[in-house]
Amino acid sequence: MPPALQNPVTLWLLLTAALAGLVYAFMRPELRWKAIGYGSFLLACAVAIWPPYEREGVPGKIHLGLDLRGGIHLVLQVVVEDALNATVDDAVTTARDQATRKGIQYGAIQRVSPTSFSVEGTEPARVKDMRDVLRDFFGRSWEVREAGEGKFTVEMNDLYQRQLKDQTVQEAIRTLERRVNALGVAEPVIAAQGSRGDQILVQLPGVTDIEQAKRIIKTTAQLSLRLVENAAASQETLLQGVGGKVPDNMELDSGPSDTPGQPTYYLLRKEAMITGRDLKNARVGVDESNRPQINFSLNATATDKFARETGRNIGRQLAIVLDGTVYSAPVIQAKLGSDNRITGHFSTQEADELSKILKAGALPATLKYLQELTVGASLGRDSIRDGVRASIAAMAFITIFMLIYYRLAGLNAIVALAGNMLIVLAAMAYTSATLTLPGVAGIILTVGVGVDTNVLVFERIREELRNGKTVRAAVQNGFERVWITILDTHATALIAAAFLFQFGTGPIKGFAVTLVIGLVSNIFASYFVSKFIFEWVLGKRHVESLSI
Amino acid sequence: MEIIKNPNFNFIGRAKYFIALSIALIVASVAWIATGHLRYGVEFSGGTQLVLHFQNPPEIDQIRDAVTRISPGSVIQTYGDIKANKVLVRIGEEAPESDLDAPARAVRQALADTYGQNPILESSSEIVGPIVGAELRQKAILLTTLGLLFQLIYIAARFKGGVWGVGATIAAFHDVLIALGVLAFLNFEVTLNIIAALLTLVGYSVNDTFVIFDRARENLAHRRKDPMARILNDSLNQTLTRTIISNGTTFLTVLGLFLFGGEVLRGFGLAMVVGIVVGTYSTLFIAVPLVSWWYGRQERVGGPGVGPAGR
Repeated sequence: MPPALQNPVTLWLLLTAALAGLVYAFMRPELRWKAIGYGSFLLACAVAIWPPYEREGVPGKIHLGLDLRGGIHLVLQVVVEDALNATVDDAVTTARDQATRKGIQYGAIQRVSPTSFSVEGTEPARVKDMRDVLRDFFGRSWEVREAGEGKFTVEMNDLYQRQLKDQTVQEAIRTLERRVNALGVAEPVIAAQGSRGDQILVQLPGVTDIEQAKRIIKTTAQLSLRLVENAAASQETLLQGVGGKVPDNMELDSGPSDTPGQPTYYLLRKEAMITGRDLKNARVGVDESNRPQINFSLNATATDKFARETGRNIGRQLAIVLDGTVYSAPVIQAKLGSDNRITGHFSTQEADELSKILKAGALPATLKYLQELTVGASLGRDSIRDGVRASIAAMAFITIFMLIYYRLAGLNAIVALAGNMLIVLAAMAYTSATLTLPGVAGIILTVGVGVDTNVLVFERIREELRNGKTVRAAVQNGFERVWITILDTHATALIAAAFLFQFGTGPIKGFAVTLVIGLVSNIFASYFVSKFIFEWVLGKRHVESLSI
Repeated sequence: MEIIKNPNFNFIGRAKYFIALSIALIVASVAWIATGHLRYGVEFSGGTQLVLHFQNPPEIDQIRDAVTRISPGSVIQTYGDIKANKVLVRIGEEAPESDLDAPARAVRQALADTYGQNPILESSSEIVGPIVGAELRQKAILLTTLGLLFQLIYIAARFKGGVWGVGATIAAFHDVLIALGVLAFLNFEVTLNIIAALLTLVGYSVNDTFVIFDRARENLAHRRKDPMARILNDSLNQTLTRTIISNGTTFLTVLGLFLFGGEVLRGFGLAMVVGIVVGTYSTLFIAVPLVSWWYGRQERVGGPGVGPAGR
């Protein structure tokens, strides 16, 4: 094909011009405009779907759903509680800091639920000060309730909870998008869904390594660099040093040591020096002994803070914690800058995946799988074959029947059917809707219903002929009388199809899409185009009989 | 070519026999479903369904031994064309919310361990956690009911009379129940595809009824003196050929789906095939006679000439 014709608009204009020439040469003047209008519309549809499927590297215009081309469909739930907990923990830290700064003595400040924390044992003389501190810092998005005797409960209000929830889901979606891009998937879908808005749909068409994709999606990837207070080979030893209980501002984590199967336990500062948010970039590298490592660099603000903090803590251990596991805890030798590394015990593939995940950023909360659908490529091919076979069978049944029963008028119905299918496919190509196997069923069904419109008209024409009307009057009346019926029947079918949309994305949405488009295009193809064909064939001459 | 020349059947006069038949069928369907004979697909019941593609023709018995040893109650059967070397495994246990794909992994591992001579080339899976399954079940019932309700409202509004909408809706409901009963009787699973088929069926059932109602409305405009029963019966006869032909062609298309659509579309096709047959029957013998019966009562109470929209 010459390059100029590869532009669809040019191609369409040329075809339309050719059509206009033919129409001008062979058609009666009063039909010309209609013929060119209808014809150029159908030509536009044909151009829109060309080429329909992938050929010689040119992607097809019809997007196949993952039930036809294989891939993964996951529904994940964002455990929003994680994000709420983290926010309350931040608030607890703020409250403690402020109280300490103002010199207010208190018994305990701690999280009591995912949305609230309590303050207990405030010294009686300073209850008012504590109240002011809490009101100042938590007045807007939180509710401060006082229970007397220096006890307070501070709880997030509903609006703030909702905001946090939405933010968490949105942030999770953005993170997943970045991760999926790192996987190199074409046409992924990542979107919020579900009535409570805390579910995320992930569709990865064409993905073959399903296990890898799932790992990359699910890893939380909370990275933090924390100072080590103490390290030991057992929890007991660590706890003895701090009086049997982990202090408020610390936490206990573990990680692999040089002896396999013998973890090392660490008592770490709760406050992180650096978190995953401070990362600018991450990639795989190798260490001195050629083992894989992850190199990462920090953004400008974090670099300043990191340099300051490491400079102040030379000689101490700094733990690199990823999702609760201490990967390594090197001793700080000097003030550190922007570029750093994580060494540890991982394979090249693990290091590669981890660096991709770190670069894409951490998930704000844990994700839980609710639903998983994986379709292998060969199963998809089977489905395409079945769909094509069923379509051909249905078309053949209808064609044979209509030709036998309505003779030449049956041909008219078949032209309308072909037009209808062309429009449905073009609309799908144009809107990038995906064709699923139920979608194929939807198209076949559309064809079946499309025939109904023709049957309604044809039967009415026959009836009018029986009542002694002339052919022209019978055709005229036939089309006019059934118009309202056609509108009504299509409206009721559209109502049913609209409810199918509510089932969300999966293959069923594909069914609803084709059904809706098919119903609308059917009115054009089976009514207007069909009517035009009658007008054209009947012409101006006097017609005695009609092959119907 | 014509099927019936000038049909003149007395549909309305014989309606009571057909209504009795329909009630019997509905009672049978509901009883069959209520006694737990309706099987749900994984998307509704929750659980795991695998389609495993083996390198060589699979020995179902050996696979069944390997799978049921670790997961009793699993169902194993050939999937699709026998030459495709595909086996469907419906795992007996629930998919745990904490580790959704654990049972699927375990089954694949068990097969690799004890049936390693015939390796799995490709594994497709559908795993649904219990929460999603329950949510979807509720949604399916809610949407089907709402779909019916809105169509009722639309028809009632178009005909300015609730009874027309109620007649069409009862007929559609009748079709859905009987189609479900037949599916349960033939041991088909209710999947999302089946729900789609049922909702579509609602649309077509109403659609079919609508054509006749429209004709009755047209006839009413110039035959205001005739009793409603006669007008409705004439309308049925006038549109009878259309009803048979239209439903016949739709029947042929869905028959194509049922026969050639493969494993995924077979249930969908069957639901539609049954639905179209029952839907045609209910249009002729249930929906229109119901409306006629209602107006018959009105005419006895309020005198002749009570009609819809025309007023």
